[in-house]
Amino acid sequence: MAKVLEPQIKDGQLLKIGQRVPKLDAWDKVQGRTQYIHDVKLPRMLYGKILWSKYAHAKIVSIDTTKAEKLPGVRAVITGYNTPEIRVGFIKDNPVLKKDKVRQYRDEVAAVAADTAEIAAEAVKLIDVVYEELPGVFDPEEAMQEGAPLIHEEKGSNVLKLPWKMLCGDVEEGRKKADFIVEENYTLPFVTHCCLGTSGCIAQFHANGNLTVYSPTQIRYLAQKDFQDAMKALGLKGKRVQVIQTAIGGGFGSKLDTYPFEFITILLAHYTGRPVKLVYTREEEFFASPGRQPVRAKISQGCTKEGKLTFRDVDMILDNGAYTSWGATTPSVMMMPISSLYQVENIRYVAKCVHTNNIYSTAMRGYGNPQATFAIESQIDTLAEKAGIDPWEFRMLNRNKPGEITPQRFEIGSCGMEECLVAVKEKLQWDEKRGKGNGRGVGISSLIHVGGGARIYKSDGTGTILKLDDYGKVTVLTSASDMGQGSDTVLAQIVAEELGVEIEDVEVIMKDTNLEIWDAGAHASRSTFVGGNSALYAARKAKEEILEFAAGMLKEPKESLYLRDRMVYSRNNAEVSMALDKLLRAIHFRTNGRQVVVSEFYDPPTVMLDREMKGNFSAAYTYGVHGVEVEVDQETGHIKILKYVIAMDVGRALNPMAVEGQLEGGCAQGLGYSLMEELQLDKGKVLNGNFLDYKILTFPDMPNIESVIVETIDEKGPFGAKGIGEPPLVGSAPAIANAVWDALGIRIRDLPITPERIVAALEAKKGS
Amino acid sequence: MRRLTYHEPESLKDAFALLEGHGETAKLLAGGTDLIIEIKQETKTPDHLISLRCIPELQDIDYSNGELCIGAMVTHRMIEQSKLIREKFSLLADAVDNLGSVQVRNVATIGGNICNGAPSADTAAPVVALGAKLVLDGPAGERQVNVEEFFQGPGKTALAAGEILRAIRIPTLPQGAGSCYIKHSRRKAMDLPLLGIAVIIVPDDNMVCQEARIALSLAGPIPFRAKKAEAFVTGKPLSREIWEQAAQVAVSESNPRTSFRTTADYRKKMICALIPRAAETALRRVNKAWMKG
Repeated sequence: MAKVLEPQIKDGQLLKIGQRVPKLDAWDKVQGRTQYIHDVKLPRMLYGKILWSKYAHAKIVSIDTTKAEKLPGVRAVITGYNTPEIRVGFIKDNPVLKKDKVRQYRDEVAAVAADTAEIAAEAVKLIDVVYEELPGVFDPEEAMQEGAPLIHEEKGSNVLKLPWKMLCGDVEEGRKKADFIVEENYTLPFVTHCCLGTSGCIAQFHANGNLTVYSPTQIRYLAQKDFQDAMKALGLKGKRVQVIQTAIGGGFGSKLDTYPFEFITILLAHYTGRPVKLVYTREEEFFASPGRQPVRAKISQGCTKEGKLTFRDVDMILDNGAYTSWGATTPSVMMMPISSLYQVENIRYVAKCVHTNNIYSTAMRGYGNPQATFAIESQIDTLAEKAGIDPWEFRMLNRNKPGEITPQRFEIGSCGMEECLVAVKEKLQWDEKRGKGNGRGVGISSLIHVGGGARIYKSDGTGTILKLDDYGKVTVLTSASDMGQGSDTVLAQIVAEELGVEIEDVEVIMKDTNLEIWDAGAHASRSTFVGGNSALYAARKAKEEILEFAAGMLKEPKESLYLRDRMVYSRNNAEVSMALDKLLRAIHFRTNGRQVVVSEFYDPPTVMLDREMKGNFSAAYTYGVHGVEVEVDQETGHIKILKYVIAMDVGRALNPMAVEGQLEGGCAQGLGYSLMEELQLDKGKVLNGNFLDYKILTFPDMPNIESVIVETIDEKGPFGAKGIGEPPLVGSAPAIANAVWDALGIRIRDLPITPERIVAALEAKKGS
Repeated sequence: MRRLTYHEPESLKDAFALLEGHGETAKLLAGGTDLIIEIKQETKTPDHLISLRCIPELQDIDYSNGELCIGAMVTHRMIEQSKLIREKFSLLADAVDNLGSVQVRNVATIGGNICNGAPSADTAAPVVALGAKLVLDGPAGERQVNVEEFFQGPGKTALAAGEILRAIRIPTLPQGAGSCYIKHSRRKAMDLPLLGIAVIIVPDDNMVCQEARIALSLAGPIPFRAKKAEAFVTGKPLSREIWEQAAQVAVSESNPRTSFRTTADYRKKMICALIPRAAETALRRVNKAWMKG
């Protein structure tokens, strides 16, 4: 059973927590010292390259690798026919090298290892593959129809056997109670993470048969398990797999699963006996790295005359693409806003994931939440409008409150939704600006996300090993991962606070499965909460040990002692003090001496969702509100963001600068999702796989973001903090859609909200 | 593995010799912001790159005898920072202001932009409106081509084998002229136009249009003057209404295409929306110039 310890906030104010500490990795990054996978070179290393499918759907008639094998410098050419089968994905429907048929353009047909990357690239072009094209299906609804081409014949249907369903209360009863009901359809596009660092890894086998994989993964330990499974296929069962995490050049969920390219690299390393590196080009990153799944949502909600929500009913179809990765499980997170954003008793949610010949999807920041929240929060406005109630008042009336238990049985502890709503209303000058309909408008959207980990796996734990050396320096070996969100900095702050040292005294290492304890990965906005508690309790253990010894040495009761400013002091006696490093040496250099080394494994007090998809799977919940003022050019359809406010209940801002960074970064990504991002596919083929045509916001496009940090000091969080990694991007799109509605009376129900869509909607409005 | 030989001639004469010597296996390299990408993508596969960056006579902006002469290797950044161009040829400054990013503008050149023949070239519509003449030099001697005749299709120009664009000659605008270029794009930086609109107007004292030039890019396969629309406004009072009507005429002269970037229909709507705006800005600049004068 997990434990909950009270944070000890004693001896006056916090010294390191709450400080604006610049990210510790920032200087290395801007000076080019950070070692990304692209920079790592091992002795005798070869370079791998993948041959991708030429068709969205085709039979493989034959593969001839003779010419490629003859190219000087080529060390191995592998296909599904000369390697043991390895399947990836949580339902293992994705063979890493395709045999018999291809199901999408990103299918891996063959791969090469060569002395240089250039030779490898040349060699894959020399592989002759004969295909027999098959009719494809690119629309999930068409894929569901009788007689549609089957993507996986053995499955018997294109609909995945993952019938996502959640029922709470009685939706029919809720419909009867409603005085107003709105039913609408919303669609959300395929978007992708746009990590600046493209995907890649290095696989290296050792003489003893053990494997080391260098990878910028977000899930060192889950990846280790996947690679471990693959070792069986290579006849290396029982050998050790070590994952060394290189600096992550952007994750955003893209590195939350393992993918064929990683296993192909392992195969190439296995057959050549040499380390092999395989890194995607930018073009490959666009079409061969899975993105966020497109969603079609049908949603209806109802309310009473007074504006109380009576029911919420949502049906969704997700384009799963050709194979199954975590994208197929995003409905489990969509359930969270559907069940627990605002108080609504009667809920029905059904989602289907459907195979198509499009490229497949995985996790992406928000994990389904942005799609669901776009539908819910856009419709809150249309429902409020129908009921004749101010949308802000409507939200206040239905808001979540601290201590409530939601229909999905989430135990909401701290909840600053009201404070966020009030702050955004004021900053946006809601009452003055709203309802003009003159091309300028304001819109808001609330959001909920997990803020205390999420028990997706049986363990949601993170481990910490913490040691202090003879010089008062602290080393923290944590299994958490930093991918730019600032975990390393925040963990250092937590440990420095607890041990009374400076932040620069703390070195945080997050790197190597051989060194650290297990962790569930950097997902679900959990690193600060779970990794933070783990580090905090480890530091507390070390502190206890140090104070215990100090008590004997200084002849003061242990309870009177405390650590601060690299010293130990006594509350009882101002004369008594000792430098920490001196104390540590005293503990070490004596008969039966020891060094202070402790370990901690923190697993939050939560449960997995049950068969009905209910249960308190996170130890805390984060709430926030986006508010935006827009000006819409009625001729060109261009949206100008005049003001952008985001208020977020973060529990406690351990590092307000890092919090603001997360809020602004989330808004940038959310604005891209709202206004311009869309991976365009033509019969399964990516049309805009480059940064010119796949548009993310540039700096000049980015409006100023006004961040409001609401602190509710969560009793379970480290020093009261909750996770905020994902939430900042969740509510952007509905806030903008609602502002556009306020500006012009047009409702855009499809993302992105492009100028073309605005112009078309204005025309339709004029016509009607 | 592709191997490229890089040449850096220091005179036009040497450049011609290299061009002649290597024939079709050679490509001229200006800023390289398009060519290098095309080489990496293997859509162009030259064996020799002949850089023009060390040829002195291609590097200058010169204004004399009522004519602006811009060397082919003048970068967009130099144009952006030229006070003279901003004052006297405002639409050309507009064209480079939002082109790529500062880093791109530091290397990308006006000659490269024009010789690529890309329909989306930012300087295309402005130079067409300005009635520029291109000085083409080659072993057979120098010739001058009207820029409108230079563009022959997407990626196709009148530049003959062995020729090098030396300079762009632009006649001074008539007294009292105002000009404006609008790049209509989704983003504020690092983007291509979905439509380019260049307008030059010369009003008389009573705000009646004496002369109008309207050049459009991406409204058809090559940049062109909307001559009917120009004729429509000439002699008419410069009101918003007249410009809205002129824009309709310009649409009838246009033949934009639908691509994954946007639709033909949207481009047509933008022609209607943006010609009056470009005209408005151009007119405001006339008035400003008068106030200054």
